[in-house]
Amino acid sequence: MRGNETLVLALPRGRILGEVTPLLKRAGLEIERAFDDPEARQLRFKTNHEGLEVIRVRSFDVATFVAFGAAQLGVAGNDVLMEFDYPEIYVPLDLNIGRCRLVVAAPKEDVGRDDPARWSHVRIATKYPEVTRRHFAQRGVQAECIVLNGAMELAPTMGLSRQIVDLVATGSTLRANGLVEIEHIADVTSRFIVNRAALKTRTAEMQYWVDRFREAADAA
Amino acid sequence: MSGANDNLHKALLPQGLRDLLPPAAEAEAVAVARLVAALASHGYERVKPPLVEFEDNLLSGAGAAMAPETFRLMDPVSQRMVGLRADMTTQVARIAASRLGHSPRPLRLCYAGQVLRVKGSEVRPERQVGQVGAELIGSADIAADIEAVAVAAEALVGLGIEGLSVDLSLPTLVPAICRAHGIAGTDLETLRAALDHKDSAGVAVSGGKAAPLLQKLLAAAGAASTALPALAKLDLPTEAATERARLVAVAERLAQAVPQLAITIDPVENRGFEYHTGVSFAFFARGMKSELGRGGRYRTGNGDGEDATGFTIYTEAVLEAMPAHKSAPRLFVPVGAGAAAAAFRAQGYVTVAGLAPAKDNAAEAKRLACGFVLTDGKLIEVH
Repeated sequence: MRGNETLVLALPRGRILGEVTPLLKRAGLEIERAFDDPEARQLRFKTNHEGLEVIRVRSFDVATFVAFGAAQLGVAGNDVLMEFDYPEIYVPLDLNIGRCRLVVAAPKEDVGRDDPARWSHVRIATKYPEVTRRHFAQRGVQAECIVLNGAMELAPTMGLSRQIVDLVATGSTLRANGLVEIEHIADVTSRFIVNRAALKTRTAEMQYWVDRFREAADAA
Repeated sequence: MSGANDNLHKALLPQGLRDLLPPAAEAEAVAVARLVAALASHGYERVKPPLVEFEDNLLSGAGAAMAPETFRLMDPVSQRMVGLRADMTTQVARIAASRLGHSPRPLRLCYAGQVLRVKGSEVRPERQVGQVGAELIGSADIAADIEAVAVAAEALVGLGIEGLSVDLSLPTLVPAICRAHGIAGTDLETLRAALDHKDSAGVAVSGGKAAPLLQKLLAAAGAASTALPALAKLDLPTEAATERARLVAVAERLAQAVPQLAITIDPVENRGFEYHTGVSFAFFARGMKSELGRGGRYRTGNGDGEDATGFTIYTEAVLEAMPAHKSAPRLFVPVGAGAAAAAFRAQGYVTVAGLAPAKDNAAEAKRLACGFVLTDGKLIEVH
C-alpha cells in the first residue's frame, strides 16, 4: 500500500486554529476558503501549493494521522505528543503558539487537607491517562485514571474523582468550578511535527516546509 | 459475568497474530526465498538457530536491548527460564562466537525466520514478524560496512522495490559528545528523548553546554549532498570527530559503489540502534509508513567479542513495498486427462486435478479459480 503523492498537513480544530492561521500566511500557505467556514462539511482542503493538501481533525488525531503517515506534516501540542510518544513522529519546531500548561487541579477545600507524600493511589479524571500515570509513578504513586473527553472540571464536583489533570490557559475555568492548580506537569506549546519515514524519503519537499514554518515562527 | 473463554470464537487469534491465506502466504514465501538467494549469492551461508534459547544467553550482550520484547517461559526439562526469540541477530552472533569460532574470518552468515515479540507498536501491531538477515563477522574494515548496505540494497531492489533509500546514522556520536560535556544520568535520558524526536526546542532546554552543538547536529540531517558538508563544518570533540570521519568515508564510498541508491544522513538517530557500535543504517521506500530493514556495526558477545556488521530485513514491511505478487497460471485437469498434465507443470503451470467427472469442465475450472482447462492435451482458456 503506497501513500499519496500529495503531501498532507494536518491541523487541529478548535482553540489552536486561530493562532495557526497567521503563521500559515507567513509561511506562504493559503488554504481554500471553505477552510475558514466552521460549518463546512468538507474535511480536505486544497492550498495554493499543488503538492500540499490540508486536513482539519481533532488535536489528538493530528498525532495519529502523522504517526501512521496518512499526513506527513502537522501541528500538535506537546501535551498530545507526550500522551502518545509515537517514535514515528519528529518534532523539529516549537511554533510558540497555543501556550498553556498541563496541571493537576483539585477542589480549593482539599488543599492542605492531607499530605501528598502519604498517597499510594490517586483517582484522576483526565484526557491524558498516560501522562498522568507517568507523572505520579515517578514519585511512587499509582494513578487510577477515569478518561473523559471534555468538561473535566465537572468531575470533582460530581464525585467522579477528587483531582483532574487538564490543560489550563488562564485558569478561569478552574476558578469558576472551585478548583485550584496544585501541581504543574508541563508547559505546553504547539509544535510542527513531521512523519519520520516521509522525512527520510521525501527529504527536500519535507525540509522545504520545515524551513518555511521555521521562518514564519521566527518572524512572530 | 461468564469467563472470557466461554464465548471464544473458534477463529479468533491473540492480538497481533494472524493467518496468511492464499495468495499472501505464497507471496511471502517467494519474497523470503528471493531475499535469501540474493544474500547467499554474495557468499552468506545459511544458519538456522532454534526458536527458543536459554534466557541468559539470548538476552546477554547485544540481546539485552530485546529483553522487554521477549516472551519467557519455564523449560520443564532443565527447570531454567527460556526466551522465545524476538530478534535473530544475537542468535547468529552467538553461533559465530561459539560453534563457528574456528571458521575462517570474515565469516558470512545469513538466516530467515519468524520472531515473536511481547508487544507490537501502534504503527506495526504485528507480534509475530518475519526477518531475513545477514551478518558479516570478524572485520572492522570500512569495506565491510559498504558491503552490508550494498548487499541489502541489491536484495531489496531485486524484489522490484522502487524509491529505495538508505539512512546512515552513527549511534556512537551523541554519546561521545555527551561524555565530552559530562552529561549523564537523568539529564542524558531527557536529552536522549528530545534528540530521538528531533525536538530542537527540547534539546535547547536539556542539552546544557552541548545544546548548540547538538542543535547543529540535528540540522545536519538530510540528503547526503547537504548533510555531509554541514557535518564536516562542526567542531566536534576528538572521539566524536573520529566517528564522523568513518561515517563520511562510508557515505562517500557507498555513493560510488551503489550510485543508484539514494543516501540520507541522520547523525543523531539512536532508537533501535542501542547495541550498535559504529555506522548504522535503515532502509526506506517512498510512500511506505515504516522502514524495510536496518543494520549496522556491533560487537559480538558482551561487547568484548569480534567486530561485526549486518542487517535485518523485515518481511512484512517488504511485502507492502513490493509490486503485487503474480501467482502461476492455474490449469484445470479433468478426470482422465492427467497424463498430459506433467508437461504443463514443467512449463510453470499449476495443475488442479478434477477428482470426479464434471458436467461442464469449463464451469468447473472457473469454480476452482483456474484460467485454463486441459482439453484433448491442449490448453483452452476459460472465460
